[in-house]
Amino acid sequence: MKNKVLKRMLPASLAAVMIMSLGACGQKKQVEKQEMDVTIDQITLGEDYTDIEADLKFLTHKTDVVDTTFQGYIEEFQKMYPNVNIEYEGITAYADDITTRLTTGDWGDICMIPTTVDKDELGNYFTVLGEKATLAKTYEENMLNNYSYQDTVYGLPSMANVQGVIYNKKVFEDAGVKELPKTPDEFLEALQAIKDKTDAIPLYTNFAASWTMTAWDAVIDGGATGDPDFANTGLTKGKDPFADRGDGTGPYAVYNTLYEAVKRGLTEEDPTTTDWEGSKGKLNNGEIGCMVLGSWSVIQMQQAGDHADDIGYMTFPITVDGKQYAAAGPDYNYGINCNSSKDNQIAAMCYIKWLVEESGFAQGEGGLSVVIGDEYPEALKALDGIELVVNNPAEEGEENLFNDVNNDSELGVNVSGAIATEVVEEAVSGTKTMEEMADEWNEKWTAAQESNGVEY
Amino acid sequence: MKEKKSLKAWVQSGKVNRKLCIFAFMLVPVALLVVFTYIPFFKMIGFSFYDMKYIGDREFVGLQNYIEVFTRKDCFQALKLSLYYIVASFVQLALALYFASVLSFKVKGSGVFKGLMFFPYLVCGIAVGFIFKFFYTRGFVLDTVLQWCGFNLEQLPYWLKDTSINNISVAATSVWRYMGQGMVMFIGAIMSVDASLYEAGDIDGANSFQKFIYIILPNIKTIIVLNMILSITGSLSVFEPPYVITGGDFGTGTYFVIMNKLAHESQKVGLASAMAVVLLILIMIATLIQKGIEKYYFGIGDTESIREIRKRKKRMAMAGKGGTR
Repeated sequence: MKNKVLKRMLPASLAAVMIMSLGACGQKKQVEKQEMDVTIDQITLGEDYTDIEADLKFLTHKTDVVDTTFQGYIEEFQKMYPNVNIEYEGITAYADDITTRLTTGDWGDICMIPTTVDKDELGNYFTVLGEKATLAKTYEENMLNNYSYQDTVYGLPSMANVQGVIYNKKVFEDAGVKELPKTPDEFLEALQAIKDKTDAIPLYTNFAASWTMTAWDAVIDGGATGDPDFANTGLTKGKDPFADRGDGTGPYAVYNTLYEAVKRGLTEEDPTTTDWEGSKGKLNNGEIGCMVLGSWSVIQMQQAGDHADDIGYMTFPITVDGKQYAAAGPDYNYGINCNSSKDNQIAAMCYIKWLVEESGFAQGEGGLSVVIGDEYPEALKALDGIELVVNNPAEEGEENLFNDVNNDSELGVNVSGAIATEVVEEAVSGTKTMEEMADEWNEKWTAAQESNGVEY
Repeated sequence: MKEKKSLKAWVQSGKVNRKLCIFAFMLVPVALLVVFTYIPFFKMIGFSFYDMKYIGDREFVGLQNYIEVFTRKDCFQALKLSLYYIVASFVQLALALYFASVLSFKVKGSGVFKGLMFFPYLVCGIAVGFIFKFFYTRGFVLDTVLQWCGFNLEQLPYWLKDTSINNISVAATSVWRYMGQGMVMFIGAIMSVDASLYEAGDIDGANSFQKFIYIILPNIKTIIVLNMILSITGSLSVFEPPYVITGGDFGTGTYFVIMNKLAHESQKVGLASAMAVVLLILIMIATLIQKGIEKYYFGIGDTESIREIRKRKKRMAMAGKGGTR
């Protein structure tokens, strides 16, 4: 009898204890932050701290080069810093997993900062790399904005991307497209020409991979409007940003291009079973006309087959007042764990400084280097003459506003590609028109803006 | 006479030894259970009362998340998709019963068949998803096989894009995967049926089908009902097939897939936790209803079903009133 009572008491008391411990849930984590007084601009590579000892763990999304290129980097770096050991850990579903890992506090020493960290939380997870004004002497200032908070920089971009369209020059030539399209209508005409005159799939959406749909979100601000402030005044704080502007610019024009392309049958037959890895080879050998992806994809497409010279890159076909723009922005940023030991943090700083300035990573990946004065890589020379637009940072006190509105609206701009996904679904089998969808997005966006206190 | 037993002797004594054994063996599994199931579960219940993301501040909002779960259009719409999986699980049950009855008796190569049909259950869910993604791709496996049977490629639908059949396609992968497991369970249960009952059936002139209905079914009804409970709760919380095969697009997003999207894409962790708790309550209700129906119609183990008891009482009452039937 006594055992039975005991058996019932134990789980009940265990449950009570656990529920009471939930009271601690509301508090911020109190972690031991190490005292750091060194900033990245104070380090001269090869001279300072050359005998520092550290074992660094580096979490990266580049699973394709962990065992090849990166090992080469470690060897090069150790010529200057022989006592620093670096261990890379490649994570396949990087964007999903890294957020959960960061919450533990001891995930390693260097990582690529995810977009899910709010600006005001940066100081709780990452080391201060320096003051923005000081670092802007070496690095492009507008590239440092993504991971700065109140003029303190927490993340250093590994490279910068341009957003636009990657295409196969030969397929376009074979279809008789002489000049690169500059407006959405010209683009759709070019796709139609490809469909009529060649066997290639004009536009491959890579729908099934789902992360590929975020590439459409990346061109809706700077590239589609030519305005570096659009992301703030037009999108985050603007009224009805997704409405039709009537002049072939802005977010509506971008998504409408996708809608029309799918509706007119200018994309692949079955979006649900697209194959990302296979598509690289197909673009290379001319079975696909073009894809909407960032410039980081150029190198991968070139290496996927024998026709590297056929790969070209153009900006998204939108003309604003007669001029073309290309949205550019920093790619993943390096961030250092502020909970690591002081030596580890300093060694990590030396390593990322080396990576940004001397490793050639950016150029090797087909991206732009953020160091002031570095040249465009070969693959992007075609973009010479097109004005690069980098989004301006949010105003003081409003750094998290975009994330908050984006999350509340569940439109996932630049996060999940939900808008582009919906466009494809409705164009294939749905009943909604482009106007109806744009109205719905505006409604959700407005509701989210209101609940976050945005006033026009 | 009091003897001072040494500690060693005390530990080795029967009663303590037994209890110590039980405790030591249970320690690791219970610890794992508490750390990986119960603690995260209670934390999640805590999360459901907050408006929070993974990183950052939390704001206590009480029951607001639960109200939102019930008023949002997409949460309960997604539950309707579970109907496809419930129907699929009945198909799966029927197939498993059929194969189990056939393979329980002397069939040439029954071992091979059992192995082949059980094999899909051993394959990891994600791998199954990928296999079927390529299986359903236009012009690949399924289309090619159907073309051999004489269908024209133009007539064949897009298995995953066509919203009228894509849920059926995804539910079918579930049937493929779990049928073997059900079949093996039923084979075990059928083997426990007393062989002399079959002989008695033969003497009475029963054919195979009648043997199945009157001898096999009543004796394994507990296992069948158990299987049904597992299938229905599994259907309510299905996640792997739609997530891996279509990512929940084109109308295949079940409740669980939507919950995952909310948590990881929109960072609405509180709302997703509330959805999880609501699903748990729904499953508990479904299980209770099933158990109730089982008790009423079929009876548990040796106890008669409540229906039978009531019928009998009615008959006795009528006989007592003094009338012939």
